Amino acid sequence: MHILPKADLRRLTGALAERYALYGPVCHEVSGEVIFDLVDDPSRIDLDIPIPYNPPKGVVFPQAERIMSFSYDRASKAAAIEPEALAAPKALVGLRSCDLNGLLCLDRFMLGQEYVDEVFLEHRKKMFIVSNTCVHPFPQCFCVCTDSGPAAVEGFDLDLTDIGGEYLVLTGSAKGEELVRGLGLAAAPAAKAALRAKAVEASVALFDAQAKDNKAWISRAVNRLTTGFIPHEVWEYIGDQCFECGACAFVCPSCSCFNIEDAAEGEGRSCRTRAWDSCSFEGYARMAGDHNPRKAVEDRRNKRFFCKLSFSQSRKYLRPGCVGCGRCVRVCPGDIGLPNVVTAIRRESTKQVPHE
Amino acid sequence: MIYKTGICNFCGTGCGHLMKVGDGAVKGVFASPDHPVGAGRLCVRGWHIHELLTTSERITRARVRKDGALRDVPLDEALALAADRLAAFPPEAVAFRASPRASNEDNYLLGKLARAVFGTNNIDLASDAGQGHTVGVLLESGGLPAALASVADLREAGFILALGIDITRQNPILGSELHKAARRGARLVTLSGRRTQIAKLSGTHLQNRPGSMRIVLAAMAKVLLEEGLVDRASTGERTVGFDGFARALDGLDMGRVAGLTGLDLEAVRETARALAGSEAAVAVFASGISGLDRETIAMAHNLFLLAGKAGRKGSGLLAATGICNIAGSWDMGATPRFLPGYVKAGDAAAADRFGKLWSARLNGKPGRTVEELLTSSPPTLKALLVAEHDEGLVRHPEALAALDLVVYVGAYDNPFARFAHIVLPAATYAEADGTYTNTERRIQLNRKKVEPGPDILPAWRIWTALAAKRGVIWPYKTSSDVMKEIAAAVPAYSAVTYEELEKGFGLQWPCDERRPKGCPHPGELPGRLSFAAVPDRFTAPAPTGDHPFLLTAGTDNTFWHTNVIMKKTHIPRREYNALLLLYPQGLVEISAEDAARIGARDKRPVRVVSASGSMRVAAKVSTDVRPGTAYVPYFIGDMITGFLDAHGSLLEGGEESVVPVRIEKV
Repeated sequence: MHILPKADLRRLTGALAERYALYGPVCHEVSGEVIFDLVDDPSRIDLDIPIPYNPPKGVVFPQAERIMSFSYDRASKAAAIEPEALAAPKALVGLRSCDLNGLLCLDRFMLGQEYVDEVFLEHRKKMFIVSNTCVHPFPQCFCVCTDSGPAAVEGFDLDLTDIGGEYLVLTGSAKGEELVRGLGLAAAPAAKAALRAKAVEASVALFDAQAKDNKAWISRAVNRLTTGFIPHEVWEYIGDQCFECGACAFVCPSCSCFNIEDAAEGEGRSCRTRAWDSCSFEGYARMAGDHNPRKAVEDRRNKRFFCKLSFSQSRKYLRPGCVGCGRCVRVCPGDIGLPNVVTAIRRESTKQVPHE
Repeated sequence: MIYKTGICNFCGTGCGHLMKVGDGAVKGVFASPDHPVGAGRLCVRGWHIHELLTTSERITRARVRKDGALRDVPLDEALALAADRLAAFPPEAVAFRASPRASNEDNYLLGKLARAVFGTNNIDLASDAGQGHTVGVLLESGGLPAALASVADLREAGFILALGIDITRQNPILGSELHKAARRGARLVTLSGRRTQIAKLSGTHLQNRPGSMRIVLAAMAKVLLEEGLVDRASTGERTVGFDGFARALDGLDMGRVAGLTGLDLEAVRETARALAGSEAAVAVFASGISGLDRETIAMAHNLFLLAGKAGRKGSGLLAATGICNIAGSWDMGATPRFLPGYVKAGDAAAADRFGKLWSARLNGKPGRTVEELLTSSPPTLKALLVAEHDEGLVRHPEALAALDLVVYVGAYDNPFARFAHIVLPAATYAEADGTYTNTERRIQLNRKKVEPGPDILPAWRIWTALAAKRGVIWPYKTSSDVMKEIAAAVPAYSAVTYEELEKGFGLQWPCDERRPKGCPHPGELPGRLSFAAVPDRFTAPAPTGDHPFLLTAGTDNTFWHTNVIMKKTHIPRREYNALLLLYPQGLVEISAEDAARIGARDKRPVRVVSASGSMRVAAKVSTDVRPGTAYVPYFIGDMITGFLDAHGSLLEGGEESVVPVRIEKV
């Protein structure tokens, strides 16, 4: 481990900005809203501000992205297909461990199965990731329930932990080591290096007092979702509250559903766009011939929670699909963020006898 | 920074969003976490507004009809031609239709163009029937002609009454507030003929017979009187007209309420008591194309006034505007009845004041709506200019085709343009600065995000250019200059500036010298409120032997008022298609009991027959309508519009309009 004085964070981000498009959490000057955004000025990145409202997944898996153009010339009968220009290398600075785990879920979905998603790979392979340990939780956090925080375990090039006045820098890749060498960072003495584990411990201890908005004791819910022992009334109760906006999927760091749309652009040219989609939409599951295995809204809703918490799905992600960031709670026009659904399932599963 | 703050341009809720911009184009959108209305939420429409903004179905060039076809011409040539040809007709023969999605600046200047340059008061707005009724009742009552309750009040209210509308579909984020209020323990009551989502989320659903809402509200008012639950101040010196209202209620025989409304009288009584017993209460209803009729709004107003829930902090009626700037467009005078600021159009003193402000002699003759002009006999309208219009007027294709001149000004290509002789391209809301006034009087500034194409101007610049072509030079350099003039013209906007708007999330009018930061709780404003005049006869549409069903119409989530623009998106269009593909001929929703009785099956065709028309659609067998009630979503316009047009009242009168029909198996 190495030491980076806080005042020198700018050297780190500046060095990254020379080789990468730089992304990080920034605070809006007027509204004070925190978002994860492309920055021109590396000093805008602030590692102390709360978790950004938008998940960093948009950098590798944009909301809408042209992935291909194609054209057909009637006269010559010539058809041409062109992939879109390749993505510029990106550095993601200040990723919280929940969001990093979300990115790893996306990796396993997009790259770790039978087919490799080349567009995603193109974004992903040229990336530098600097994670940021949460030395205290935020009100919406429940990563301790989903085994995804408060500190990153894997997937970063560099990991920073604030130990007061300076960051402990943990390297996670050869690229990370090279940057540390280039910056000439001092090695951390053993006593200081031990502070990372202490910081994590202290952060976990703060959850009861500070992370008050959400709790999601998921293990019972995982069991019930996997075995299917959840009464239909529970899903109806949840489905009635779904406004079918799609937001839970859009804000989720690990949701990977997308739609493909071809649009004519005139003069024989067309483009193919990939865009975020959501399993809450009726049209998402509709098949050719009009069959829809998930027509009713409650059937679509239970798909989402099956995807996030069932064991069979977790095997694909090598972890639960939920990373405990709490975004789906705040963005939901109903009241069915994941923690509430877990509560509804647990309440049902602990019910001893039906009420008279 | 690629995420830029802005305001959603679909419904009147006015949620904040962050628009993703890159390479000079819109790339996406995200909810704005700290916006006071949206508070981090958007609906399915709001989450896909970038799809609309990036559609290739844009109008990018000025076009003029030559030899039957629209042909590209230089913008200046089209502007000159439009101005000259509009001026060639007498003022009474010219009309203007404003867009409820346009900014305050756009619509203020369109009104000025119509009145000060072309000398006519013939200007109106699309899709705003319900807003006219709401404004009328509220002006009559002496309060502000706009919502007395704010969205934040929903977070405090102890009692919320949702009237008719499925607000989870029309204004989903307002619907979210209602749901969250119920979750925190507020009493949420839905009064609607159909079991909508908001009805399912309500502690109480009073599923009344369609067309009887006014009677239910009157019965609640009568319960307050009978049981001594009336707010003392409401019947005393703070109000006017109590005696008249009480006399009107004498005409209601409580013994007939259950029969007329289909409701259990005790449930109505209990709801009235809950309203009276609450500390603060809000009534929410649609104000737009699917709004309520005047009498129902007047009764809701009177009920709330009687219960002491009008003119009090945190209480009152919240007319949910269905399109982003319906409210602002009325504030700006995009109506034949009012100049900007709800000043009567025919009023001599007003004409004098605005004549001075606009350096013009104004026409003292009140105008007429485009609808009235198109349907008048003999026809008097010769020329029509329409801004960003999507559907309503296409109901009169013959009248439109007979006009000497139709000018269409818009950003998106649509079926209306086929009637146009001249088409002028306009910027989208993301390509121009402008302010929009939401359903709770919140004036919000939306900054330009991307440059429009070379020939594309913001609408306010087009109106300025048309005035210039008529030799009237307006001095505005920016839309902020237009707002300065609005501040001078409209007292409730007098302290509004772009500088102040930019400091936060908008200002709620009245925003003037005394309240430079706006006024979230106008219910506290001093002044006496009046009971609105209501008829003392209480009848409801009743089924007959020939026509045993009461048919109503309504909107839906993904197929929204201006369906033409929703069809230019990808995901909302797909969601609409998911329903349309199941019911390609359109649908009528009926109960399982009725379906069994007439032998109809889900997705199989039936014929809906009224006294003046019929249509063939599929039956949708549902638990959401009661026996004897039928519902058509008029969003499947292509198939159903023809039938509904023959029943103009169904569209004009809003949600409470009813057509008696019979339904036959085919």
